[in-house]
Amino acid sequence: MNPPVLDIHNLSVDYQTELGPLHALRDVSLLVPEGKIIGIVGESGCGKSTLISTIIRLLAANARIVDGKILFKGDDLLGMGVDQMRALRGDEISMVFQDPMTSLNPVLPIGRQMSDVQHRGKASAAERKTRSVMMLERVGIPDPETQLTRYPHHLSGGMRQRVAIAMALMTEPSLLIADEPTTALDATLEVQIIHRLEQLQRDFGCSILFISHHLGVIAELCHEVVVMYAGEVVECGPTREVFLNPRHPYTRKLLECDPARIAARTKDLPVIEGGLPDLVKLPEGCIFRDRCDQSVARCATERPRLSGAGHTVACHAVVCHPVVCNLAEHPE
Amino acid sequence: MSAVLSVSDLHVRYPLHAGITGLTKRRPAYVDVVHGVSLEINRGETVAIVGESGSGKTTLAMAICGLAPVHGGEVRIDGRKLERDRNHRLNPDRKRVALMFQDPVGSLSPRMTIRKILAEPFLIHKVLGKNPQTEALRLLSLVGLGEEIADRYPHQLSGGQARRVGVARALALGPDILIADEPTAGLDVSIQGEVLNLLTGLQQDMGLGIMIITHNLNIVRHVADQMAIMYLGRFLEQGDAQQVFDKARHPYTAALLSANPSHDPDARPNRIELLGEVPSLLQRPKGCEFHTRCPRAETLCKESFPEANQSQAKQVFNCHFPLD
Repeated sequence: MNPPVLDIHNLSVDYQTELGPLHALRDVSLLVPEGKIIGIVGESGCGKSTLISTIIRLLAANARIVDGKILFKGDDLLGMGVDQMRALRGDEISMVFQDPMTSLNPVLPIGRQMSDVQHRGKASAAERKTRSVMMLERVGIPDPETQLTRYPHHLSGGMRQRVAIAMALMTEPSLLIADEPTTALDATLEVQIIHRLEQLQRDFGCSILFISHHLGVIAELCHEVVVMYAGEVVECGPTREVFLNPRHPYTRKLLECDPARIAARTKDLPVIEGGLPDLVKLPEGCIFRDRCDQSVARCATERPRLSGAGHTVACHAVVCHPVVCNLAEHPE
Repeated sequence: MSAVLSVSDLHVRYPLHAGITGLTKRRPAYVDVVHGVSLEINRGETVAIVGESGSGKTTLAMAICGLAPVHGGEVRIDGRKLERDRNHRLNPDRKRVALMFQDPVGSLSPRMTIRKILAEPFLIHKVLGKNPQTEALRLLSLVGLGEEIADRYPHQLSGGQARRVGVARALALGPDILIADEPTAGLDVSIQGEVLNLLTGLQQDMGLGIMIITHNLNIVRHVADQMAIMYLGRFLEQGDAQQVFDKARHPYTAALLSANPSHDPDARPNRIELLGEVPSLLQRPKGCEFHTRCPRAETLCKESFPEANQSQAKQVFNCHFPLD
C-alpha cells in the first residue's frame, strides 16, 4: 500500500516574539490519505495558516519548528534541502490562495502566467499553450483561447479563482492545498467552485487539504474534517460524524454558532463567550478550559490528548461522560 | 410613517475613458453601475442588499452617502434631497447617514490612534458643545471596547475589534441610518455573531435604520426585515425578507437561495444551476439582464425589460415568467 500523501506527526511551531516564544502550533498530527479531501476548520488565530506555511516550508523568518515530522509520501519535508523543496512546490504540492486577485500577476495576461507555470517541463511554447487551453476548458471557462490574452482584471472573481485552480492543477500535483478559496466569492460561485474542485479531484485523483471557516462548504465537500483551536487539533474524524455528533465542546459551540443551523429566525445570535488564550504564556491543562461549560477538575492540570478510533477527540469531559451517539437517527 | 431614507430611480454612471481619451472621443462611452434602484428604509428597520460581487451593491451605498456621482434619480433623507451646493459641499443632512466600510482595518488611518480616529468626525463637522476626547471614550464603551484600545493603532487590533471601531466611528454623529458594507466578511462564526448582535442592540437602543450589504444569506435570514436582490445594478426582487425566503418569485432569487451550502452533511439540496457567466456591465444584455443565464428565459425576455410586478404583500419583482 502506498504511504499517505501527507502525514504530520506531533508538529510544534513557535514564533519568536519580544515577549518570548509564541507557541503557534502544539503537537499537531494530521493524516491526508491518497485521493481524499480533508477540511480544516477553526477560528482565525487557530494556526491554520501557520500549518500550511510549515507544510510548504514558507514560514516567516521568526518561526522555529520545535518538534515533529511532516512526511510527504514517506519523505520528511522538514529534512529536505532548499532545492529539493523548491522542486516539490508547484509540482507535487500546489496551492490555491484566498484572494485570486492578488495571487495572479496583474500586469501579465493569464496565458503567459499559465505557460510560465509549466517552466519545468520540456514542452514547446505551442504545446504549453494547448495545455493551458485544455486546463481552462477543464475548469469550465468559456472560450478559453481568447481568455489567454486577457488580464486578471478582465475576469470576474469566480473566473479568476478558476484560473488559479487551473494553474494549480496544471502539473497534476499529488496534494492541493486550498486556503479559503471561496471566501471572496458569493453563494452561487462558491457552489460552482466547490463542485468543480470535487470533480477535478475525482478526475486527477489528487488529495486536497481544504481550509475554510465556512462550515457549510466543509460539510459539503470534505470527506474528513480536522477542528483546530488555538494551535491544537481538538477533534478529527469523518465529516458526517463530526457534524452530526460533535464530541468536543468547542466543535459543538462552533457548530451552534453557525447561523445556517438555527432554524428559527432570531436577532440574538449565539457566540462563544471569552477569547483566545495567550499563546506566549500557555495556561496549564486544557487550552479550551476558560470557555468550556463542561470542564472537570482534571482539565485544570492535565492536557487532554487525542483519543478514540476513527473519530478522535481531545477532551477529558467526553471520556468521563460519553455523549450519546445519535447516529442511529441518521442512517446511511 | 415616512421613511428616513428614500432612494428613487437612482443611476450611477462612470465614464469609460478618463483623461485625454475621454475628451477626444466624439461619443463618450459610459458604464452604468447602478441602473435605476428605488429603496426605502425606516427607523428601526434592517434592509439587506444581496447580490454577486460586481452587482453594484457597494456603489449603491457610496452613492447614498454622496461618495459616488449620482447620474439620475435622487436620494432623500427625511424628505430633503441630498445634493451639493455651489461650493460643492453636501448639505448637513449627509451626516445622518453613516457608512461602515468593507475593509475594517484598511478604512482606519494607519497613522492615527483609535482615539484620534473617533474624535475626528466631531472636528470635521465642527460639532460644538461636545468634547471630542470624552466622546471618543463614550463611543468605545458603546461598542463594548475598553479604554485601553484608545491609544492603540489600527494594526494592533483584531478583525473583530476593528469592526467594532468601524461601528463606533459610524455612530459618532448620531446618525439615523447606518450602512454596513459586508460587516461580517472574513470573520469567524462566533465573532460574526458578536458583531451582528452589537448592531441589533444598537438598533434597538437608538432606533437606527440599518442597510446591510452582504452575500451571506444565512445572516440575512436572521437579521433582515426587508431584502433586495441586486443583479447588474438593478434590483430584481425586493420585499419582506421572510417572504422572499419562503417564496421567491424571481428565478435568480430562487437560484441564489438554493445555492447556499448546507451545514448538514447528509443534505442533498435541490440546486438550480445557473448557466454561463455574469455578463459584463459594458455589454448589458438587451431586455431582461438575467435572460442569458435564466433557466426560464423565452424570446420575450430578450426583447423587453419586464415591468415591476407586485404580489400581494408588497413583494416586487421584475420578471416576465415569475415562479409561483
